[in-house]
Amino acid sequence: MKRNWSYRFWRSATRCLLASIAVALLTYVCFRFRVNLTIACLLYLTIVVLLSVSDAIVPSIFVSVISVLCLDYFFAPPLFSLQLSDPLDVVALVVFLGTALLITRLMWQRKRAEEALQKVLGELESKVQQRTAELARANDELRGEIADRQRAEEALQKAQTELAHVTRVMTLGELTASIAHEVNQPLAAVVTNGQAGLRWLALETPRLDEVRAAVERIVRDGNRASEVIQRIRALARKNPTLMVSLDINEVITEAVLLVRREVSNQGASMRMELAPALPAVLGDRIQLQQVVVNLVMNGVDAMATITNRPREILIQSQPHETREVLVAVRDSGIGIDSERADRLFNAFFTTKPSGMGMGLSISRSIIMAHGGKLWASPNAEHGAAFQFTVPIDSRDAS
Amino acid sequence: MKQPDSIVFVVDDDSSVREAIESLIQSVGLRVETFETAQEFLRSKRPDVPGCVVLDVRLPGLSGLDLQRELAAHGIKLPVIFITGHGDIPMSVRAMKAGALEFLTKPFRDQDLLDAIQQALERDRTARQHQMETTELRERFDSLTSREREVMGLVVSGLLNKQIAGELGTSEVTIKIHRSQVMKKMGAGSLAELVRMTEKLGIPAAKD
Repeated sequence: MKRNWSYRFWRSATRCLLASIAVALLTYVCFRFRVNLTIACLLYLTIVVLLSVSDAIVPSIFVSVISVLCLDYFFAPPLFSLQLSDPLDVVALVVFLGTALLITRLMWQRKRAEEALQKVLGELESKVQQRTAELARANDELRGEIADRQRAEEALQKAQTELAHVTRVMTLGELTASIAHEVNQPLAAVVTNGQAGLRWLALETPRLDEVRAAVERIVRDGNRASEVIQRIRALARKNPTLMVSLDINEVITEAVLLVRREVSNQGASMRMELAPALPAVLGDRIQLQQVVVNLVMNGVDAMATITNRPREILIQSQPHETREVLVAVRDSGIGIDSERADRLFNAFFTTKPSGMGMGLSISRSIIMAHGGKLWASPNAEHGAAFQFTVPIDSRDAS
Repeated sequence: MKQPDSIVFVVDDDSSVREAIESLIQSVGLRVETFETAQEFLRSKRPDVPGCVVLDVRLPGLSGLDLQRELAAHGIKLPVIFITGHGDIPMSVRAMKAGALEFLTKPFRDQDLLDAIQQALERDRTARQHQMETTELRERFDSLTSREREVMGLVVSGLLNKQIAGELGTSEVTIKIHRSQVMKKMGAGSLAELVRMTEKLGIPAAKD
């Protein structure tokens, strides 16, 4: 600050000196050529203007005063005296001084305004820079948060997939006896067919037509047993979610094969009302099968204490709201009371002594991950209906 | 081995198992009829020949054990052979107590099933024979007059003609005639045979 002041002082001093020299030269030239007072006034004014324009305020004032003295001394009669004889000359000199000072003042004001503007512009620029930096920082933070969130979502999805797998394996465990039966049945048929075939061959005149029929049945039943095993293996495997185009009726039929024995063991019957030619849905085959199995098992459990009416599971599929397919699993069980309806889907909520309470919770999260909804409602007469929607495969429709 | 006069009924809800057993039984020359459900079997018209039922324990709707009870309640005395996918001991005990002839676990040895079937058919044939004889005896007994029945009762209780005459207040000659009439109508060759017949008919001796 101090240096700035001294710099300005020396600059002003230098300018004053240079201006004095210019005034002296002008005075000499004008005096030599006997220029009259008016012209001299204009010429002196030119110097003042030049100084003012070039931001030299102090020299400008200094020159204005010196000029008045010079004009009075050298050009206004009586010459070589600071006295004035003509009142007009007095007016001329006053006007000159006034004009010179006015110009100086205007220029000074202009300069001040410019400086103020400059300052504001500077402040504005720094503010803009600051804001830009802040925005960039916020942007970075946001990006970081998005990445964190994505990581969290991925972790959640992974956890859900794992939980789905675990509950699936547990369900398979509960179904072991029924599934074993489902495999044993065709195998028993294979054995018996083999034995029958041997007996037809051992006849005095072997009945080859019967042998052929028996062997054909062996092939068919062997395949059937193998299919059951493949289906179970698919359910037991820990697969990442695989969204593909699916026929929901096929998914239902396959799931039903795994639980039908369990259903009949519990003294219940199962019926299907599947709408033909449904649009394909986009989903994970195994997970959707798991949901159907869960809902059917749930329905069977809900009917365990029912003795005064048939225990029946009804599975329906139908189109829903143009872009979705709806699946309903209805039972004739104890039904649901509205008090508990909301809690049904909570994890660890169970009415069964042996249940973990994960079935409905995991089913709902699976359906939600598919972009659908799963809800429960009472049936018109008895029992409850669990319904879910799955969006149709839009890639298929386009 | 040909026994066209007998029939085996198979009730199993699994079509694969049903077809296999059908073929196995046919291969030994037996007649087979198959049914998917217990209800279907109960509704069917069964020919009046010796037979037996091969029954799956677990059936949708009416179970095998239920059907066994139902048959008994309807007075149908067909021998029952149970087959099951997963037979547990309490279940087989229950089935055997209810009169099942055999309890086989799938997959079973073909010979075990066929043996059981032969045994069951034999038992049904004997039972039918017995039933037929009883019916015939009953008819013969029904053809007796009340006096003759009286005499027969006293004869099989071991009384002599004279004693019977005294008992009934008539002459010995009359009793003799009644007695020979009873023997002829009942088709009995000896007193011992007549006693056996009354036992079969469940008629108690008239008097000690």
